[in-house]
Amino acid sequence: METSYLVGAILVASIMTYFTRIMPFIFFRKKEPSAVIKYIEWNMPVMIMVILVFYALKDVSWELYPYGIPELIGIVVAGLLHIKYKNALLSIFVATLLYMVLVQKIMV
Amino acid sequence: MSFFSIFKMTIPVLMGYIPLGMAFGLLLSNMLIPWYYAFFMSVFIFAGAGQFLALGLFASHATILEIGVATFLLNLRHTFYGLSMISALKNFSWKKNYVIFGLTDETFALLKTNDIKEEERERAYVIITALNQSYWVIGSVIGALLGNILPFNYKGIEFSLTALFVVLSIDLYNKSKQHKPFLISIVIGFIGMTIFPSDKMLILSLGLAATVLILFKGALEDGN
Repeated sequence: METSYLVGAILVASIMTYFTRIMPFIFFRKKEPSAVIKYIEWNMPVMIMVILVFYALKDVSWELYPYGIPELIGIVVAGLLHIKYKNALLSIFVATLLYMVLVQKIMV
Repeated sequence: MSFFSIFKMTIPVLMGYIPLGMAFGLLLSNMLIPWYYAFFMSVFIFAGAGQFLALGLFASHATILEIGVATFLLNLRHTFYGLSMISALKNFSWKKNYVIFGLTDETFALLKTNDIKEEERERAYVIITALNQSYWVIGSVIGALLGNILPFNYKGIEFSLTALFVVLSIDLYNKSKQHKPFLISIVIGFIGMTIFPSDKMLILSLGLAATVLILFKGALEDGN
């Protein structure tokens, strides 16, 4: 990969990331945010996150062995653990470990 | 508040960022990108999902414009975090710019869930943010340098990111007053995954979600 491409891409990604974080501090320094902005701020994050789950699954081959079963098991385990214990790191750690065992040892 | 007690607060993030950072570094070195780019990305971008996304976009030779738009849309959720930090950071010096820069999902969660006294807040926030970033940088550099040397089979470790999205979906669902956006995004995500072209899936699905949210504002705010 070319150096100029990587440097440019990293620069743009860092500026955009910082921009998303500083935006509310720039725009809502004094006045209260409008009702529409509040509505979007409240409802968009959960939609983004759910879509990201599907995004992470977009390259799974559902019609080929193991038919996405390790992914589905991993997601169900992460979800159930998180609903029960509300400990993000525990849910992520256990689900990832289980997924790694599944794809490395059981459903090879 | 002692440095040690602040450090103790960040241990959960330490445990998550080192392996996740290593997964990032490993992925980067497997794409034959030199290790120091892992360092620069973690120092200057400092966004977990954002950096993984960037690697995915590098791999599909996305243009710099596409990388910019995708990063912006992916990290737009941080704007929501910033909104609820405005009053907490109001009296900070210039150092608040670093706290804002480092406002990742996990840093935000730590800052929001720990009660820190007003007069100790600035120092504690800066240290928490810096510690978290150092874990992320160290993990990603270790992953990029040693990932392929360490005798450990990493296959499947990228699932930690999928699990992170699942966990954050549940957290945000529990926090939101309306449940319709959650259900709608499941439909949109499914459509995106099955119908939209793989390389444009994220942008198209997020655009569709924002459009539906705005067009049906009245109906969505009605009841639950």
